[in-house]
Amino acid sequence: MDTVKLTETGAAKPSEIKKKKWKILEMRELNLMLILLVIIIGLSLTNEYFATWTNLRVVIGSFSLDGIAVIGMTVILISGGIDLSIGSVMCLSMTICALLIRASVNPWLSALLALFGCAVAGLIMGLLITKIHLSHFIVTLCFLGIARGIVYALTTGTPISLVGALKDLPAFRFIGQGQVGGIIPMTVIIFLALAVASEIFVRKSSLMRLVFYTGSSEKAAAFSGINVDRVKLATCVTCSLFAGIEGIIYVNKFSGVPVSAGTGLEMTAIASAVIGGVSMNGGRGSVLGAILGLALMALVQNALTLFTAPPFWQDLIRYLIVLGAVLLDALQKNRAIRRMA
Amino acid sequence: MSRKLMAFILTAAFIFGTTAAFAEINGLKGDPSEEYYQIQMVSGVEYWFPVFAAFKEAGNRLGVKTFYVGTTEYDANKEVEVFDQILARKPKGIMVHPITAEAFKEPIDRAVAQGVAVVTFAADSPESNRHGYITSDNVREGRYAARALGSELGGKGKVMTLRNPGQSNHDIRVDTFIKTIKEEFPGIEVVADEPTNQNPDKAYTSVLTVAQKHPDLGAIFMPEASSAMGASRAAVELGGGSAKIKIICCDVNEQILDMLKTGDVYGAINPDQGMQGYFGMLTLFMAAHPELIHPMNGKLETGKNPVYIPYIDNGLTLVTAENADYFYVDKYAQSLGYKDVKDMLSPGDPSKEK
Repeated sequence: MDTVKLTETGAAKPSEIKKKKWKILEMRELNLMLILLVIIIGLSLTNEYFATWTNLRVVIGSFSLDGIAVIGMTVILISGGIDLSIGSVMCLSMTICALLIRASVNPWLSALLALFGCAVAGLIMGLLITKIHLSHFIVTLCFLGIARGIVYALTTGTPISLVGALKDLPAFRFIGQGQVGGIIPMTVIIFLALAVASEIFVRKSSLMRLVFYTGSSEKAAAFSGINVDRVKLATCVTCSLFAGIEGIIYVNKFSGVPVSAGTGLEMTAIASAVIGGVSMNGGRGSVLGAILGLALMALVQNALTLFTAPPFWQDLIRYLIVLGAVLLDALQKNRAIRRMA
Repeated sequence: MSRKLMAFILTAAFIFGTTAAFAEINGLKGDPSEEYYQIQMVSGVEYWFPVFAAFKEAGNRLGVKTFYVGTTEYDANKEVEVFDQILARKPKGIMVHPITAEAFKEPIDRAVAQGVAVVTFAADSPESNRHGYITSDNVREGRYAARALGSELGGKGKVMTLRNPGQSNHDIRVDTFIKTIKEEFPGIEVVADEPTNQNPDKAYTSVLTVAQKHPDLGAIFMPEASSAMGASRAAVELGGGSAKIKIICCDVNEQILDMLKTGDVYGAINPDQGMQGYFGMLTLFMAAHPELIHPMNGKLETGKNPVYIPYIDNGLTLVTAENADYFYVDKYAQSLGYKDVKDMLSPGDPSKEK
């Protein structure tokens, strides 16, 4: 399988981890790309509205917001952790930013302060996980409620409107509502920039290698001198920060804060990452794979809408197709492993 | 003016005056220790606030205490827990919004058996022994929206709907909308019915996708407010905004009101929350004081509570740019003399009123 050899101390040899990781990841991503290609060709042949520039823009646009949170989730999953709070933290980011803007604080400063708030939330979660040794699951589950609770307390459950405020802030509004060249939404550009930078960071950065080691075997990583606590702390902050960035763009794009924003985001992010080959046990995964997983779900949803699927059937159809894709990928992977053996 | 007419007017004035004066002095009053509770799920949702404002207002006039309680989550078990905790405090009456009808049948029946008056609002538990049910009519809301959009489109064109599958009141609104369009506006085609689960981003994507297939899409209906944020964003990006694609949603909040005023949203169907709260409280009070009424239904004589009102429609309003200003909840709270919304949701206790 995709395990790696360990040294006498239990630590994995970096070179072997890297080789194995690249092989598995490439295979997984290639499989997903092939599945996506098959779906794209099939849809292009059966639906005249599918293979158009406008539709491509809609599909990419449809996952560019959630894709930002998926990046953060990928990083924390690789480290062996999980973050169930991202939806609430995202909403908290939106709320802080919106309230500050309404209090006439500079919008860029408001966004920075909102991100700072998210980083603090991530830091507290990280400290509880590393210093008190609570599990990621419990801590982030609590923060799912705590962050949402803060939102309710700050807003008394009332959505915050920025319709009027953003009209006077064209530069700030551009990040959520602008279109470059009148064609490409700014949200897509921000997402692609973050995704590409994160993918390069995940593949090339020595810091990220520490995350992979920690995720592969926490004990082994600790034995080999890695400050595991610091790694876990950093991934918690990173995950919350990405959720916060999504929140800033969200509040901008829709000119306000519905207090239920972000509900269920954690499930979308985890599902996309897992479909994309990110291991729930840590030590394996890539941003590209997770984004491809999200793209698969977005593509299926797009097809359901274009084919006017009944609303009560859409969840069933969508998740059956996604399950089919994952099974197909698993079958191919098993066959390849058998061939290698 | 003839003498007879003058005598009639004077007599009528006398009767009206004395009745009014009598009502002012001896009007319906409860004991100041009586406690009435409004219980709902997701109690942070803005919709409930004006309901309680009117509930409290009626309670103040009746001289009884009123409380706003509930669970912040969308969870039947938790709401039942809250209901039971309140019941343990031996209240005089409870106005509850039951998440699911079945989950509340037993708790409501238990409360009624203990002599506590129970009225359901905005959602019902029809098999229970509750004394009354007050709500906006979801069927009427869907029909009202269909007629408003149908007329606005001149009886022809294409419309789509967004919905939250599985939430019964939303499904009824959307199903009725589609049925009414088909029955009364044969020139209008419902081209899509998309699930968005109240997610603005999903609404945005759905509208953009459907608009590719149907570039002449003329209107969108959704049974809640959150999806309208995404739908209107999509309408703007498609060019023309709400001038080209009319958007009607149900319920209002500050953002929808702002969007109505800027023209990003065409209209919002809003149940009359004030009527729901006020008449909910009056019904509750009457059910808690069956000695005040003696209807010819034989119940009082057989030792039963004579108050049983299966259904009260609290009415609705189409909110547009013209009347949007009346629906801002913070302004409403201030117009009632409260400092803010939090103050408006504080318990009502007429004995402590200045």
